[in-house]
Amino acid sequence: MNSKLEKDSDSVPSSGQIGLEDSKGKLHSGTVLQLFARILKYRRITVEAGLMIFLGTFAALLEPRLFGYAIDEAIVSKRQDLLEWIGAAFIGATCLRIYAAKRQAYLFELLGQRVAQDLRVELFSHLQRLPVAIFDRVPSGRLLTRVTNDIGSLNEMFSAGFVSIVSNGLLVLGILIWMLVLDVKLGLIAASVFPILAWLSVYFSRQLREAYGEVRSRLSALNVFLAENFSGMKTVHLFNQQIPQLRKFDELNQKYSDAQIGSIRVFAYFQPMITLGAGVSIALLIWFGGKETVSGHLKVGVLVAYFSYVLSLFQPLREIADKWNVFLSGMTSAERVFTVLNLPTELKKEEVLHKTQPIPEIQGNIKFENVWFSYRSDREGDWVIRDLSFEIRAGEKIGIVGHTGAGKSTLIGLLLRFYEPKKGRITLDGRDLREYDKRSLRASFGLVQQDVFLFSGTFEENITFWDSSKKQEVEHVLKELRLPIRNLDLEMNERGSNLSMGERQVLAFARAAASKPRIWILDEATSSMDSEQEKVLQKSLTQISGGRTGIYVAHRLATIRETDRILVLHKGLLVEQGNHGDLIKRNGLYSRLYRYQGSQPSPLCP
Amino acid sequence: MSTSSKGRPSRFLEGSSFVRHYLWKYRVWVSLGLLFLVVVDLLDILPAFLLKRSVDVVVEHQPINTLFYLALAYVGISVVQGFCRYGWRMFLIRASVFAGRDLRKKYTRHLYGLSVSFFDRQLLGDLMSLATNDIEAVRMAIGAGLLVFADALFFLITVPVAMFFLSPKLTFLVCLPLPLVPWIVLKNEKEVHSRFLKVQDSFGKISALVHESLSGVRVTKGFALEDVQISRITRLGEQYSALNMDLAAFQTALGPKLDLCMSFGLFILLFVGGSEMIRSPQGAITLGTFVAFQRYIQKMIWPMTALGMAANYFQRAVSSSNRLNEVLETQTDVPSVALQASRTRSPRFGRVEFNSLSFRFPGTIEPVLKEIQLTIEPGERVAFVGRVGAGKSTLFSLVPRLYPVERGMLRIDGIDVNDWNLEELRHRVGYVSQDVFLFSESVLENVAMGLVEGASRSEAVLEIEAAARIAAVHDEITRFSQAYVTPLGERGVNLSGGQKQRLTLARAIAKKPDILLLDDALSSVDVATEAEILRALRTRPQRNTELIAAHRISTIQDADRIVVLHEGRVIQIGKHEELIQAPQSVYRQFYEQQKMAEELEAYKNELEAGERL
Repeated sequence: MNSKLEKDSDSVPSSGQIGLEDSKGKLHSGTVLQLFARILKYRRITVEAGLMIFLGTFAALLEPRLFGYAIDEAIVSKRQDLLEWIGAAFIGATCLRIYAAKRQAYLFELLGQRVAQDLRVELFSHLQRLPVAIFDRVPSGRLLTRVTNDIGSLNEMFSAGFVSIVSNGLLVLGILIWMLVLDVKLGLIAASVFPILAWLSVYFSRQLREAYGEVRSRLSALNVFLAENFSGMKTVHLFNQQIPQLRKFDELNQKYSDAQIGSIRVFAYFQPMITLGAGVSIALLIWFGGKETVSGHLKVGVLVAYFSYVLSLFQPLREIADKWNVFLSGMTSAERVFTVLNLPTELKKEEVLHKTQPIPEIQGNIKFENVWFSYRSDREGDWVIRDLSFEIRAGEKIGIVGHTGAGKSTLIGLLLRFYEPKKGRITLDGRDLREYDKRSLRASFGLVQQDVFLFSGTFEENITFWDSSKKQEVEHVLKELRLPIRNLDLEMNERGSNLSMGERQVLAFARAAASKPRIWILDEATSSMDSEQEKVLQKSLTQISGGRTGIYVAHRLATIRETDRILVLHKGLLVEQGNHGDLIKRNGLYSRLYRYQGSQPSPLCP
Repeated sequence: MSTSSKGRPSRFLEGSSFVRHYLWKYRVWVSLGLLFLVVVDLLDILPAFLLKRSVDVVVEHQPINTLFYLALAYVGISVVQGFCRYGWRMFLIRASVFAGRDLRKKYTRHLYGLSVSFFDRQLLGDLMSLATNDIEAVRMAIGAGLLVFADALFFLITVPVAMFFLSPKLTFLVCLPLPLVPWIVLKNEKEVHSRFLKVQDSFGKISALVHESLSGVRVTKGFALEDVQISRITRLGEQYSALNMDLAAFQTALGPKLDLCMSFGLFILLFVGGSEMIRSPQGAITLGTFVAFQRYIQKMIWPMTALGMAANYFQRAVSSSNRLNEVLETQTDVPSVALQASRTRSPRFGRVEFNSLSFRFPGTIEPVLKEIQLTIEPGERVAFVGRVGAGKSTLFSLVPRLYPVERGMLRIDGIDVNDWNLEELRHRVGYVSQDVFLFSESVLENVAMGLVEGASRSEAVLEIEAAARIAAVHDEITRFSQAYVTPLGERGVNLSGGQKQRLTLARAIAKKPDILLLDDALSSVDVATEAEILRALRTRPQRNTELIAAHRISTIQDADRIVVLHEGRVIQIGKHEELIQAPQSVYRQFYEQQKMAEELEAYKNELEAGERL
């Protein structure tokens, strides 16, 4: 399907498999079943809604008949008392119909909302549990669309598409049956044009889908073009490309409006067909029905009722043709949603393990044994970590240095089990990491990163993660860290633009401290602080972390000078280790790095 | 929008200007469409009348042949109506599509004329939303809005007149509930609108949460926050559902409410009309009239609803037009002057004079460049050093006048930059910026952007190849699957950072500028290739003036002059040797540090070479 993605596909599904390709409105029985299972949960609502449709249809069929009855039995026969009764019955039927319509719309909306909410939570929870590797590959915008737009169109399918199709379908069916029951001959005459129009409706809905598809793809081509040009306007100006680009725009713009006119034409053809069909139907009724009535085989009120029936037969047909597309796009969305839901999560295996093995108190003894890792799993090679072996004893403070691409961040990803080693193993307190439940394993690490990710919410909520029991803890931690904070209730702006970089890092520290970690990992965590701030923080951190294991990844070597041991990584290999003094003496990569950084403060270098 | 039009008439008039303008522009199409609409609406009176006649014929035992003519007339009317329905759609709606197209064109054209500083300030999403949603809203008012409005208006006249003609008394009675309709529609619209905004807001929150949970997936997992996030989405989702239900309560209520009005009319007809007929069988109300009224009442519901819809369409168009006008009224801050034919190209062009130049970005207070005094001679190569934020990029971007410069501060070839025709100026200046931007078209088309139009294709190809050779990217291009016609971007080849940089360089070289500005333009290219490119630039027969901002010593030290910028000021100028020896030289610090970094890089390469053995 998509050869470019197929090429480096591995256990992680390509975006095509996440349901990004447009399937052409074919219904897969699996999707229907899965959706059905979710509707069944709301049996009461569904049954009541079904009942309402029935009652509504019945009342809708009754009304014209009552009108006809009034003509024949009351007006023609001059019976005022009967007219009163019929009037009352008419009011009753009307109220029933309107009540049923309202109730049914409400119930379907409710059903749609419930199913959508269930699926939204289910999908979101599922996304939370997918392996990190999927997020490296699939752009988050596409996954976002699954949770928002696809769930939305599923909802619309219930509240608009489904109701309309079922109730209008039933109405059409009811009218046809009733007309035939009332008078077979006249019924057949009135319904004679119906098959043609039904076929036309199917044809029309297909045409319309195609036309809309064309409109959408032309529009998206136009939008892609505009977005690219708007963001590259500098280049357009520098190369005097305004006129050539505008020429291209005009072409795309024209194509888009042509497509729009195409879709209008479909409507323009269909509408007159319906008008004509209804016209012919009524004309047949006038001629044949009229003759029958004159010859006394038919009562005039029945004929009048037929007029009403025929006229109300065609509107529902249009509705169905219109809403069929809503229904189809809802089903397509459902399919995409289920594709994502069927991706395996990272927790399934462990949930079983977790039950049998309670997690013991973690001491913080970490051991890498001949660990190899590569981000691609289709073939060996492109190793990011190569045959890495080292040990960190409980309570030890370790510094990790190296150039960009040395494998420092990957190492952390492996420890937190965002990724699994391709070869070798990592143990914690003598047990393979794979034996731990991922979530409790991760919870025992306190990770502070350079890029501090902020959730929408207040400063405090970003530390406690909405756990109000941690409130006091936060104040305590902030005091311990001796970090001044403006306002705990400060609401974060988009991407935290109202916090300074320093403040963000303070937040990250507090966040980690509040989770009371057994092992601290500081990944370039103080790079945005000045050295004075950093010193204060380091001191208080020693107090807080007590005898806990600490892993410090840093670019700035002054930060890790004081650690017990320093590991120097280069291209996934461990090239040197030892304390600061030893490494300086060795005159290797570390000492060169150190000398280079010694002369760092300069007005010219970033 | 609750602001009524009478409160601020000028704003409403202004806001409806597009609608009026395009209605006038496409007046022929619009009038034809409306003409067809009138025919449809007038004919729509007749079917009910034909039914009346049929019933009367049947009841009063008139000649049976009349029925045949009535049936024939019915079909005839349907045919004419069908034809006219096709007509109004094709004329009126087509006119609206054209109007949308024209407005989109006008908007885009205007944007292309605005300067870079406008795009710095605007969010891409906002500009896109104007181009799609707002223009569509204007279009809808012209097409659907006008249609619905005109249709409703005709019906409101014709149907009551027809009813009145049949029976004035009955008309009055059955129309009793109808005045309620516009009131119901408008009230409902108000309720729906305010709830709709809440639903949208809530939807935004859900999107934001999902978005942040996806982009912060490592934090979520790192702190084992999955359950917290799930409970957040559950809560937001429930809020969203509840708001939706609240909205649906109003949305779904409209139909039944209108239905009730109509049914009430029908009930009056049935009861009062029926009683009347029983009391006086030979009276004004015949059975046929009774049947015709049934049809007419059902028809009256539509224009009432339609008026509400039309009001809605126009309201949206007005607020969208006002948004569009805001952009369309923005003027460029770098207006061009007319081209002066007398300036011919000569090889010795390319003098750049900064005369005590100070600059701040439009709308900001802090100056980015202060008192820059510098003259660069034609053919000279000047290197600029300084840390990020020193003002190098800003200084460079002023030469092609991407931002407004005060008169007298910057002269190119002795002419104030404000007096240059923009197109010509930019043709003479080749500016390669840090942020690489290539169009998702072929390699050839991207590089050809720099060429003067009118050259023959084979000539152009030769020039492009020559430029690509100088930028040291030709060999790699020929190895692409379709060589020079390989498309770039999503549908084509994905270039590395270095390839992209060299391609943008080739694009600038291809236009043979008098002045070439390289703003950190080769940072992702390796040292050897960079040196090769710089040499190639120097050995061309027609040397241009070069301004180069860079970090690498090798790039800088051979320049004719080096300018050290710090916080928007020039703090040192001179040749490499001079600067190194200057007392308290900032340049020397920079030099030493850079030297060390390069040594480290070399050691790293050594290590890698060692591994390979």
